[in-house]
Formats: sequence, C-alpha cells, structure tokens
Amino acid sequence: MAAIGGMSAEDLKLLAPELTVFVGLLLIMIVPNLGNGTFRIPGTSIRLPWFLGGTRYKFVSSPRLPGLLAVLTMAVALFQVVAYLINSNGLDGDVVSSNSGIEIFKINMFSRIFEAIFFAALLLAAIASLDRLPIGPQKSDDIDVLFNNRRQADFYILMLTSALGMSVVALAQDMFVLFVGLELASFSTYVLVAFHKETRAGSEGGAKYFIVGSVASAVGLYGLSMLYLWAGSLQFEVLAVKWADDGGSALSMMALGFVLVGFAFKISAVPFHFAAPDAYSGANSPVAGVLATASKAMGMLGLMRVLLIVTIPEASGGSAIWIGLLGVLAAITMTWGNIAALGSENPKRMLAYSSVAHAGYMLAALTAIGAWNWGLAEDAEGAMDVVVAALLFHMFVLVFFKLGAFLVLGVLEMEGGASRLSSLAGLGKREPLLAVGMFLFMISLAGVPPMAGFLSKLLVIMGIVEVATGTGSLSSIGDAHWVWWLALLMVLNSAISMFYYLRISVVMYFHEPEEGREGPLASGKSIRVAIALCAIGTVAFGLVGGELVEICRDAAQSLR
Amino acid sequence: MLVILPILASIFLLILTSRLNPVARAKFDAPVRMAALLLSLGMFTLATLMFLGQIGGVDWNNITFNTFEFQESYVWIEQLGITWTVGVDGLSFPMVWLTTLLLPIAIVATWNEKSGATYFPLMLMLGGALIGVFVALDMFMFYVFWELTLIPMFFMILKWGGKDRKYASQKFFIYTFTASVIMLLGLLTMYFLMDTQTFNMQDMIVQAKGENANGVWLGLEVQKVLFIMLMLGFLVKLPAAPFHTWLPDAHVQAPTGGSMMLAGVMLKMGAYGMFRLPISLFPHALQEFQFIIMMIGLVSLVWGAIVCLGQTNLKKMVAYSSVSHMGVILLGIASMQPLGWAAALFMMFAHGIISPMLFAVCGAFKHHYHSMEIGAMRGMARHSPWLATSMMFGWMASLGLPLLAGFVAELMLMVAYWYEYGWWIIFPGLVLAITAAYYLWSMQRTIFEGGEETQPPKSLHGEPVPDIDNPEKLAMLLLAAFTILFGIMPWIFLDMMDMWTRSAMQFLGLGGD
Repeated sequence: MAAIGGMSAEDLKLLAPELTVFVGLLLIMIVPNLGNGTFRIPGTSIRLPWFLGGTRYKFVSSPRLPGLLAVLTMAVALFQVVAYLINSNGLDGDVVSSNSGIEIFKINMFSRIFEAIFFAALLLAAIASLDRLPIGPQKSDDIDVLFNNRRQADFYILMLTSALGMSVVALAQDMFVLFVGLELASFSTYVLVAFHKETRAGSEGGAKYFIVGSVASAVGLYGLSMLYLWAGSLQFEVLAVKWADDGGSALSMMALGFVLVGFAFKISAVPFHFAAPDAYSGANSPVAGVLATASKAMGMLGLMRVLLIVTIPEASGGSAIWIGLLGVLAAITMTWGNIAALGSENPKRMLAYSSVAHAGYMLAALTAIGAWNWGLAEDAEGAMDVVVAALLFHMFVLVFFKLGAFLVLGVLEMEGGASRLSSLAGLGKREPLLAVGMFLFMISLAGVPPMAGFLSKLLVIMGIVEVATGTGSLSSIGDAHWVWWLALLMVLNSAISMFYYLRISVVMYFHEPEEGREGPLASGKSIRVAIALCAIGTVAFGLVGGELVEICRDAAQSLR
Repeated sequence: MLVILPILASIFLLILTSRLNPVARAKFDAPVRMAALLLSLGMFTLATLMFLGQIGGVDWNNITFNTFEFQESYVWIEQLGITWTVGVDGLSFPMVWLTTLLLPIAIVATWNEKSGATYFPLMLMLGGALIGVFVALDMFMFYVFWELTLIPMFFMILKWGGKDRKYASQKFFIYTFTASVIMLLGLLTMYFLMDTQTFNMQDMIVQAKGENANGVWLGLEVQKVLFIMLMLGFLVKLPAAPFHTWLPDAHVQAPTGGSMMLAGVMLKMGAYGMFRLPISLFPHALQEFQFIIMMIGLVSLVWGAIVCLGQTNLKKMVAYSSVSHMGVILLGIASMQPLGWAAALFMMFAHGIISPMLFAVCGAFKHHYHSMEIGAMRGMARHSPWLATSMMFGWMASLGLPLLAGFVAELMLMVAYWYEYGWWIIFPGLVLAITAAYYLWSMQRTIFEGGEETQPPKSLHGEPVPDIDNPEKLAMLLLAAFTILFGIMPWIFLDMMDMWTRSAMQFLGLGGD
C-alpha cells in the first residue's frame, strides 16, 4: 500500500472520479466549519484569521449546504465516469501499480460501469435526501441550526465515504484492497441504516444489519487469510494462475467458501438475507434504495471477480467447481424471496424480499456462466460475455426502478410512515403522477414490457438459455444443460412476483386513503425530481436500451 | 402508423388530464371522448381504404403464406438484432380491420362511461396495442405488444369494473402473464436453437421449413416441448379448458367497452398467435398433438356449453359461450384441413363481431335494469323492445343462424371435421344443436313470457322502465348490420383467409385437400 504515496500525475488523472469524491468529502467536512475564527500566535497578541470555528458565516451555516455539495460531487464524478464509458474504446484498461509492481487498481470498462452504477444510485439518493432529513427553522444563533447542519453533514459524509469505498471495490485488483473498500462502504452503510436512531425500527435495523454484516465480513476475512496461506498472494491474477494449478485442494475450497459468504451477505442471498428486511424497513427510504442497488451491485462485483476471474476453468476444462452449489443457492434464493414477499404487509419489507429474489436471478445467471463450456457452446467466451453483459445491464437499470420505488415510499415517509401497505392507499387519487411512477416501477420490477426491467430480465434469460442450449441442435430438451431449468424457474418466479407487485397497484388505485391522510402529499421538490429521473430511466432504457447494452458488452469483454 | 398513433395519442391525453383535479377533469370528458372517437374513426377509414385498395393497391386475395403487404422495417435495438418490423397478410389483416371497426363502436356503445377523460384514452391504447400484436413481424415486438395489451385492460377492469373487480383484474393479469412468460422462455430457447439467430418471424418460418426439410429439425422431442410452451401461452389467452377460468371473472367484472374489446379481439390474439408461431414453425409437432388439440377443443366446447346452461347471470353466460366458440376454433385447427383452418379464421372474425354485440346488450341491460340476472328480464320485449330485439338477434347470430356470420364458420367447420374425424362429428354437432335449442327456449321464456302483469323487474326499485339510448342503439345496429353483411357475403374476407390457409398447408407440407 505504500504505493499510494508514489502515484504519478498520470495515475492521478486516471483516478479523477475517485479523487473528485475525495475532494467532495473534504469539502463537506470543512465548509460547514468555516467562520471568522482566529488563531493567536502564542506569546503575542497577534490574531491571524484562519477561518475555522468562531461565528459561522451565514452562507456556510445553511443546513442545505452539505447536501448540495454531495449532490454536486456525485454529479461531477458520475459525469466523468459516464464520459469514460462513452468515449472509451479500450478493452485493455489502465493499471495503477505500487512501486514494487503489484497491481492495485485497474481502470477499464468493467470497473467503470460499476462505478457508474454506484454513483448513479448515490446521486439519486442524495438528491432525494435533500428533502428527507428534517431541517429546522432557519434562525441564526440557534443551536438547532448548527445541530441540523451537523447531522446533515454526517449523513452526506457517510454517503460519500460509501461511494469512495464502493469505487475502490470496483477498481481493486487485489483481494486485500477489495476488502478494504468493501469495509469502508459497509461501515458507512451500517451507520446510514441506523441514522434514524430515535426510532425503534431504525436502531433495531441498524444493530441487526451491523451484527450480521460484521460476522459475514469476519468470515470473509478469515477466508482471505486462508487464501493468502494457500497462494502466498492476494492478487487476482496470481490467484487465478494458482487456481488453475491446484484448484481442488481442501484449503482453497474452504477459503473460497468463506470468502463467498462475505459477498453473499452483501447481495442478500439466502441464507444470509435475514438482516435485509429489518435493515431496509428501519433505514430511511433513499438509504434502503442504496442498499438494494449499489450495495448489492458491490457484492455481485466481488462474486464476479472471485468466481469469474479466479476460479473459472480454462476453456477446455468443463464447468466450474461451484456450479452445483451456486445453482441450488440461486433456486432457493429466488423462490424464498418471492414467497416471503407474498406475505409481507410492509411495502419496504416487500421490496427487500423482492430484492432477495432479484439476487436469486443474478445468481442463476452466474451459475450459467459456470457451465460456460460444458460442451455444446461453440463460443464459450462469447456466451460468457453475453451473460455478464446481461448482469451488468440488469444491475444498471435496477438502480432506476428499485431506487425509484423506494423513493416513492420516501415521499410517503415524509408525511408519516410507509410501513403498512395501507399507507399507499389512495395514492392514485392523491398524487396521480407519483402513483403512475410507482406503477411503472412495479411492472418494471415484475418484468413487463416495455419497461427496462423486461429488457434486463430478457437479457438474463437469453444468456442462460444460450449457455444451456449451446448452438448445436438438441434431440431432446433433457440434453440441454440443467441451467435451462433455472431459466424456467426464473420465469415461474416472475409470475409469482406479479402477485405482490400488482397488489401495490391495486392498493394505490383502489383503496380509500387512511384516516387523516387524504389530499396531496407534503411537498418535496427534489425527491420528486429524483423520482422523475428514475421513471424516465425506467422507460427510456426499456425502449432504447441498445447503447447501454453495447456498453455492457464492451465492459463484459474487458473483464476477461 | 395504425399502431403508434393511438398509443401516442392516449399517452398524450392521459398526461394532459392527469394534472387536473377531478372536477376540472370531468370537464374534459366530452372533448377527450370526441377526440378518441374521431381518431378511431380515422383508423377505421384508413384500414377500410387499405382493404379496398385505395391505399397501397393490394390484391388481398392473392397473398400467400409468409408474404406480407405494407411491410416496413426499422432497426429498434441494433445490438440485440431487434427490429420494428410490421406487415399484414391474409391472417392478420381481417383482425386488424376488426379491431379498427370495434374500437369506434365500443366507444359509442359506452358513450356515457364515467371518468371518460381516462377511460377513452385507455381504450385507444388497448386498440393500438392489439393492432401492434397483429401486425408485428418481430418476435420481440410481438411480445412487447402482447404484454402491453394487459396494462390498459387491467386498469379498465380495476377502475370501471363490477363488485369483485380487484379479484378479477388480478386473476386476469396473473393468468395471462404466467402463460406468456412460459411462452417467452419457449421463444428464447427456440431463438438460440436456430442456425441463424433472428427475431424476424418471416425468416424464422423460412428457416424452420428449410431445416425441417433436411430431416426433422431439432429433433421431434425438442419441437414438441417448444410447441407445448408456445401453445400454453396462446391456449390460456384463447382461453381453452382447463385454463379458461379467468375469462368469466374478467368478463363479468369488466366494463362493457372492456368486455367488447376483450371478447372481440383480445381472445383472438390467442388463436392468431397459434397460427402465426407454433403452427407455422412446428408443423410436425402439430401433427403429433393433433388429437390432443382436438380433445381440448371438444372439452372447451362441451364444458362451455354445459356451464352456460346453468348460468343465471347473463354476462357469465355470454362469457362461457365465448369459451365454447373458442373450442370451435381449436377444432378447426385440429381438423388439419384448409377448410377447417379457414373456418377457424372466419370463426375468429365472426365471433369478433357477434360477441361484442352480446356484451353491448349485457352492458345496456346492466345500465338500464341494474341487474345481470336473467330472471330480471321478464317481459323485456314489452318494456324495452329495442334491447330485446338486439338480444335475440345477438343470440341467434351466436348460435349460428343461417345467413348470419356465425353460420358460415360453423358449417365450414362441420364439413372439415367430418373429413378428418368422421363420426366424431356427433359430439360437436349435438352440442351445438342442443344448446341452440336450449337458449332459444330459455330466451323465449324469459324475454317474452312473464310480462303479462307488466310488472317491471324488482331491481328497478319502481323506476319507469327505460329502453336503450341512442348511442347504444347505433352501436348495436352497426354490429347487427355487419353480422348480416358477413353472413350473406362471407367471401369479403373469407377469400383471403382461404388463400392463406391453402398456401400455408402447402408450404408446411401438411397436405390437406
């Protein structure tokens, strides 16, 4: 890690988005503290103004400032990342190495698209949060202003640290660096979940999420140490070479299993999903949305790095060693998530379980990659690219409709809670546009065309089917690889999920509003802007997702 | 253009009015309704001119299998090879024309529907999506429109439906959605099994034919599995027994306009899809399953008829009679004769005119008598002669009275069925005859008799008995006129259907004749 000190100007330029986040972080820490404070040189009576402390300037004591700074930071970072994605043709990428030549970061389409996912989710959440946190009356000299300001600053600092952690995960070429980033992001999210510490649900969710999460991390780290013991290095490249050599040994298998536990918690796969519903319902909605999109993408990223770079066999070597385990896990995860969602009366828990189900779909796609060269597929690497691109596309568009759904609940929370299904009642009459937005998000989650959710599910199923059937001709469907049945399970699960997604629409359009909750909702311009952006994304990527698919394909190729 | 225009217009109208409060929105009901009517009339004119050859100058009776007119193709999502490809042939054009015909009629028949500012745009969206299904020649596009029809229908049932509309709308959505995702998986599996992967149906059909010619393509096993997966999606939509249970619920709860479109065109999507995809792609599998399809059709026919006999709810009765008629379509397919297929196609068309009429009658009945019970109709001929006449006419057409459209289809079917299955003909023949007798008898009892006391039914709570109003009258007259027209001159559309089925049989190597 000593290498960071020796970074060249070139490296700094490569890491511009991450540095932007870092600078934003510093700004949020410093700017609210600016004031007319002075510094007395010891032994003299000369006071030098040093601008920290003292009476705060009026401008910097605005409680809105940290939020605006965070939005600005994320927007600039996202812009840089998207510009890279659009302009880059390079599949090779650039490497930032330490002085001793160890690869630390690799910047290519694959890592950048994950950063785009993270930054987009956090940007939308930050925009939405501008309205979400209580802002006290704007009287000067009031301690409340300062307190609110501080709380605001804390919230956005944590958002930006999680962004920084996630981008480290995206870029890391070394398991250790990856884990450092993962922990940075995790700790930020633990605190964000518990941010509403005054409510019971907030502290309960935060505590559960922290305990389960830290146990999962500890197990993961233990696995990491075993990996180091086994290979003598934590570089992905080195591990991959070693795996090809000595993949089946007991030590490596155990290490791999432990590391996977750490990531499986992040994507809330069964059986590591138990904390997720509590965490989601305790956290405020934009944060829950981030957990369900960016944080989950981070876990998937870890899984993909480990499973697809380290343990994928050579093109001639049959299917991967974990395929059976992962297939079972995928089947259980998607089914469990959907069935649990059927019975939940709290919309946020329901969305949490639906997010578990989506994790199952993604695991199914990963399983298919594990079968990538089982014999029928002539172009195994091409097939792998298709599935990886589908996963990337899925995670990218998920940001829009999953987060959007949470944000609609967020508007309701501002009015007084969204913890019952009946909180949504009558939304169709009270706020027609919000209800339409929510309806779009729901059918997109269910995978109804022409929403983005349909295209993403279609791509994932196509990927699985392509791997399973190969391009040769089959004499019976039993000859296809068994991952084909995962695709069947997936479409059946989509049908099950229709029940609870539709129920939301029925409640919105059909039930009378709760007592005392008639009429339009509390105003909140920025959260509505965020929801509108989500809705536009949901429809637009469904209708004209071609460009994004292209980018995802390039990104998938750059993984190899 | 027929597809995009109504959908865009409906979205525009919906957005235009969604920001208003309910009172202000009510003021928009009449202009929106007028705009919807004019637009749908415009579409009808366009479709008719296309038919008459004024636009395009197409010789409709010479379109053979797998050739399309008015074909247009644009790239949609280049990276996935998805295109926007449309075109019409002898199979799809009658359905397109029917949709454009029913749309203005349904709008007129439900002229006074409440919350018109939302209702009529939804109608337009439904019409656009339906036409989209019929003209789509790209598999992806087909599926998108297939699902898109669900959304306006779901809301129409949910918002304007009867007492159990929540249950009905969700059941409707979930049944058809489940079936269609299975169909989707079948489509995708097939996609990857082709030598040259394409979403274009035309190319797919040619390719399947070519590969079938060199021995059996994919192996019969795979063909059969894919055939089942595709057929499942269409059978549920059709609906055939035992997947039909969503239909009566949806129909009974749906508003009149929704029922008319649902029975008139949406059910036909199922039959259309069968012809377009599984039958055209897997003729060998069709031969394998011929008998099973025949049995499913027979069961639907008999089951629908039996349940129909026991109904006291008029709308449910009409709904089950639809199930019966859809069974007839399956029988036509299973007959494996060009004549039988043409009969199935014409049945699609004729039922598409007759059943909306029956549902319009139901709607008017509900509207004026506040009840759906057949018992409430006593003496209707005396109180509301227009309504009673329309109802009798509708039933007779539905039962296949000669010179009306339904008769042509049933007669053709019987002949084809006789060719293929011989004495099995007793079953459909007897069922049709018995139910016909029963309906007429029961109608006679309920509509004409019992009115001596001239007591209006109790459900009116002492209000004077009304007859149907002018928009309803107009709609029913129009439908009746078309029923007679196609009964006397079936060849208007039958010729192109006949051409299509003959060339299809020849192309697929199914023999016939």
